[in-house]
Amino acid sequence: MAKSEQLPVAEARAGEPEAWEILFRRYQLPLYVYVFELAQDEQASLDIVQETFIAAVRHIGSLQADENFGSWLFGIAHQRCVQRWRRQNREARWRDEIADAAADIESSPDVLLIRREQEAEFMQRLNQLPLPQRTVLLLHFIEDFSLEEIARITGASLGTVKSRIHYGKKSLRKLFEAKLP
Amino acid sequence: MKTPREILLERHQAVVPKLNAIRRKLLNSELRANPPPHLWLSRWLVVPWRELVWPCRGIWAGLAAVWFVILAVNISLRDHSPTVATKSSQPSPEIILAFWRQEQLLIELIEPHRPRVAAPQKPALPQPRSQRRTEFLSA
Repeated sequence: MAKSEQLPVAEARAGEPEAWEILFRRYQLPLYVYVFELAQDEQASLDIVQETFIAAVRHIGSLQADENFGSWLFGIAHQRCVQRWRRQNREARWRDEIADAAADIESSPDVLLIRREQEAEFMQRLNQLPLPQRTVLLLHFIEDFSLEEIARITGASLGTVKSRIHYGKKSLRKLFEAKLP
Repeated sequence: MKTPREILLERHQAVVPKLNAIRRKLLNSELRANPPPHLWLSRWLVVPWRELVWPCRGIWAGLAAVWFVILAVNISLRDHSPTVATKSSQPSPEIILAFWRQEQLLIELIEPHRPRVAAPQKPALPQPRSQRRTEFLSA
């Protein structure tokens, strides 16, 4: 997420439809991508995006700082995903994967760049990652949220988020290093 | 070379028309038809609160505390001050008598010189023109 990005959050809070139009337009695709890559279901992802936007309109008053709008919105979407998984009786699997936290290791700040011929493999590899690692990596890749923001969205501790990003990137790199000539 | 973000977003471009439809539907139904009840409050109360009061909340809190102290001191002083009206004793009969005599004397002094109010004269009623002419000639 661009830190200097000026979004009309105050205007949206005052109920201006034009401001909501800008905010929805800005976040609709990143939000959908995040939800889809977790749920792997187009209709369910569209439903969650819609529910997230409705909740955002109704509860914008609870947003403390306007600059946190993006992470707040992704947090709502994340909660909706968790609720849906619970409804689908996958709670046990989710809990097991969440509990699988590793040690607190700093993530490397370098940018991961992928060549065209590796794109499909990247997506395949990303989808093979354990759900907690995939979740934090998606938030990191899609909106470049800070570690604190990712921790707030997912409800995990900062150390756990650092660890998941580190191991997620490490396993993705392994693929590319192995494929490079 | 692309970033993971670019790959992820490009991969889902096909769904953008559906997302646009959801956005339009939400803007029409959720915001225009059923505005949330807090919106008018936001416009008239919350926005000024956030713009004017909240940024200087420390100063406002300090001022409120000062006013509270002033009010408390004022109340405590008022409780201990002697209340003249309630605590003063009734005037003695001699003083009442002296006041009564002075009042009577004043009435006697004023009464003879009080201007008598003359009864207002009746306004002259308009008379016929012929009668006015005879009066003029007789004068």
